[in-house]
Amino acid sequence: MNSRGYFLIFVFTVFSLILLGRLIHLQIIKGEYYYEKSEKNHLRVVVLNAPRGNIYDRNGILLAYDKPSYNLYTFPYITKKRLKILERNLKRILNIELSKDIKEKIKKGNSLKVVIKKNLTDKQIEKFFRYSYLFTGIYLEVQPRRIYTEYARYMPHLIGYVGYPSEKELKENPKLRPDTLIGKSGVEKIFDRYLRGKYGTKGMVVDALGRIKEIKWENLPKRGNDIYLTVDARIQKIVYEAFKNTGEKSGAVIVFNPDGYEILALLSYPIYDIQKFSDGLTKEEWKEIIKNPYKPLLNKALKGIYPPGSIFKIVVGLGALNEGVITPNTRIYSGGKFKLGNFVFRNWNLGGCGRVNVMEALETSCDTFFYQISLNLGVRNITKYTKLFGIGEKLNPEIEKRVAIVPTPEWKRKRFGKPWYPGDTIVYSIGQGYLSITPFDGAKIIAPIANGGKIYRPKLLKAVHNRDTGEYKETEKVLIRKLPVKQEYIKTIKRGIYLVVYGNRGTAKLLSLSPVKVAGKTGTAQVIRKKDPKQRVKKWKYQNHAWYVSLFPYDKPRFAMSVFVEHGIGGSKTAVPITKYIIDELYRKGIINEKY
Amino acid sequence: MRSIKNILTIYDPIILLIVIFLIFWSILNVYSATFHEYSNLYIKQAVFGVIGLTVMLLLPFIDYRKVLNLSPYLYLIGIILLLGVMLFGKTILGAKRWINLGFFMLQPSELMKFIMILITAHLLDDKKSISLKDISIVLIITAIPLILILKQPDLGTSIMVLLPVLVILFTAGLPKRYIFGAIGLFISLAPFIWQHMKEYQKKRILAFLNPEADPFGSAYHILQSKIAVGSGQLTGKGFLEGTQSKLFFLPEQHTDFIFATIGEEWGFLMSALIVLLYLILGIRIVLWGLKIKHIAGKYVCFGSAGLITLQAFINISMTVGFAPVVGITLPLISYGGTSLITFCLIIGLVLSVIAEYKREKIHF
Repeated sequence: MNSRGYFLIFVFTVFSLILLGRLIHLQIIKGEYYYEKSEKNHLRVVVLNAPRGNIYDRNGILLAYDKPSYNLYTFPYITKKRLKILERNLKRILNIELSKDIKEKIKKGNSLKVVIKKNLTDKQIEKFFRYSYLFTGIYLEVQPRRIYTEYARYMPHLIGYVGYPSEKELKENPKLRPDTLIGKSGVEKIFDRYLRGKYGTKGMVVDALGRIKEIKWENLPKRGNDIYLTVDARIQKIVYEAFKNTGEKSGAVIVFNPDGYEILALLSYPIYDIQKFSDGLTKEEWKEIIKNPYKPLLNKALKGIYPPGSIFKIVVGLGALNEGVITPNTRIYSGGKFKLGNFVFRNWNLGGCGRVNVMEALETSCDTFFYQISLNLGVRNITKYTKLFGIGEKLNPEIEKRVAIVPTPEWKRKRFGKPWYPGDTIVYSIGQGYLSITPFDGAKIIAPIANGGKIYRPKLLKAVHNRDTGEYKETEKVLIRKLPVKQEYIKTIKRGIYLVVYGNRGTAKLLSLSPVKVAGKTGTAQVIRKKDPKQRVKKWKYQNHAWYVSLFPYDKPRFAMSVFVEHGIGGSKTAVPITKYIIDELYRKGIINEKY
Repeated sequence: MRSIKNILTIYDPIILLIVIFLIFWSILNVYSATFHEYSNLYIKQAVFGVIGLTVMLLLPFIDYRKVLNLSPYLYLIGIILLLGVMLFGKTILGAKRWINLGFFMLQPSELMKFIMILITAHLLDDKKSISLKDISIVLIITAIPLILILKQPDLGTSIMVLLPVLVILFTAGLPKRYIFGAIGLFISLAPFIWQHMKEYQKKRILAFLNPEADPFGSAYHILQSKIAVGSGQLTGKGFLEGTQSKLFFLPEQHTDFIFATIGEEWGFLMSALIVLLYLILGIRIVLWGLKIKHIAGKYVCFGSAGLITLQAFINISMTVGFAPVVGITLPLISYGGTSLITFCLIIGLVLSVIAEYKREKIHF
């Protein structure tokens, strides 16, 4: 046993001799060599960011591109001790003032790069090089900067923005580098895989003060692909101006090409300055955006959910026809009120509608008609048809952000612990109660009426263009399903919403003044319950939401549009005028009859 | 006066002086390696140093055999703590090794080294020669914490938990055929182990075998660490003057790579002294182990010496580019509360064995 103990001593001794030998080798024999290496040579590997691809609209109008921008940066361990002098030189020569934040970062930091100033002017760059000896430890780097053209400024939510990856994103994708710009939202994010190029690297030998001594290698980056969106920048601009010129505060517009659900325009209003946002906002600018009660940062088109109100009658009407609850000619007496047990459900117009069929009921937006048919149709059927329209699901998960709430008795029990009452079905039938949809879903309601019952995967990407190989690849339209309903019934509904514009009692008669034949359905969704429907509320946030979904030109619809005005009081009052503005402008500019 | 002298005689002065010197050295170099990034790590290290020294000085007043008898319970506590890490552990740099106690991040795997020495010595106590059954029991007992630590994942610490157990088995007279058999088995299993290694572990080993192949990836640390040590030359760049060890973008400059700071700032003279101190510490403890009659006491000495000296040498080998980078600390010097206190516990136990021996000698 003790012999093994001695062996242990032997092992220790031999091991220590090996280490001592190694230390002699490293520190004495090659000490000078390593000393010089440590003094002079630090290898610095710099990532060369690849330019992102350009973004174009469907007609090739440029929306976003990369432009080199020059940034100043430093490594704190080099400049920490000479911060005062550098600060003075920066101020005197380049007129750059170091913010408290940056100074703090330099004082506390070490080997992590600190960016001092972004987007230098040409003059600053020239001076920086002329007086480079005064800026030891400060470097100039070229970073691609994302520039958004004038047209892109009407669609900040759609385009999104780019930024550096978060820690979470870095973890999830090991190929990312901390200083690679990636899409953070919108198209920049959805199609990041096309837009982002492949970064290159540059290895440089730098001395203790960070001066470049030698370039060891340089792998050039590969630029990303260009993409063409289905969006028409001109339509987007018109849509934006419609909101701006009618003076409405908040809302969303979605324009589809019903054949293929190509997104021609997608607006969330108000907008924000996409360029400023991408370059980085100051604290004050940020505060201002956050404080804005109309929430410019929220993409209401895709992320806001609201009760749809009467635009939902399109779905209920079609369902009732198809389930045989009514025929196109069934007339039902629909008064000013509908009683169910002790409960009274009012028509929006207490005068009632008389004996009406489904087309006339759509024309006048007759609530009591739909109350009555809804009881025969039943909650399950209403939900079934809603889902067939693609509401309550993401037809394109890449684009759609939020799923509508489409209630069922099971859902209600789970959510509220209460059974489903017939009264729930009644309010459901006019798009109130638990049902909540996005403005984007509004377009999903109207588009199948325009195209004869086809549900497509919403499409935002028209084509991808690889500039290096010249390859240009168009994306196909994808048919998801056809509504299992008779064409006749779709035509009935279409006729009904035609009467909304051209009938004597229509709720969107204003549109009949338009040079384009149009059909559509108004919607006014209650935000708070009111004892008296005529009671007026002053506060913006308690006013009703306004909707108008439309298709035009009526005979051969090439556009399906959803207009949503948040707290817009009434469909006829605000959503219809906006629709008219858009259609008139499309006509005036000749876009209505253009070929796609 | 006499009583104080009496008390002091129970300690081994050489072991005591070396340990105190190493802990002092630790605080100094943790300061140098971190002052530019953190403000107070060296203070924390000093606090742990004081706690550790106190524990170490008090242990000899307890009969180590009582501690050995407690080892099954300690082992259970250790396993529970390791399971606790799995369930409530704190993840740092991708590994789950710590339990956050609020004031202190406990790393139970370090503590396990101490416990494994105890329980192995306890199990093999009074065995003149060891049987296959003894070996199997010891290996099974070791396998449980080993797997738990490997899962964290922490290859370095799990090797260091196994190491003292192997040393004890070896000194207990493990038959040569088993030793050669194990080596043969390891070599034949190597390809299989390789396949089951994590990508980063493979990279480190490849980087170690061929640093020139990828000087800017995994091998970067090894290269930079070598430059740091080498650039210290004979007398070093001076306290706090090292640039390499501060700039070389190693996240572990105050833990696993602290020897690079020592090499750079204090040069060959001090680096060599540190190596020699670990050697003397190891030899001294082994020599005591040879003298002591009580078998478990012997094993405590051999296991502890093996752990401390070999872990130190493996850590230094890593720093000078002689071993692949695995997370192994430099005993008593690397930053880390649990590690420091664990080594104080181990040395305290050794001192207790020695004290017991001295007491018995006086009585007879």
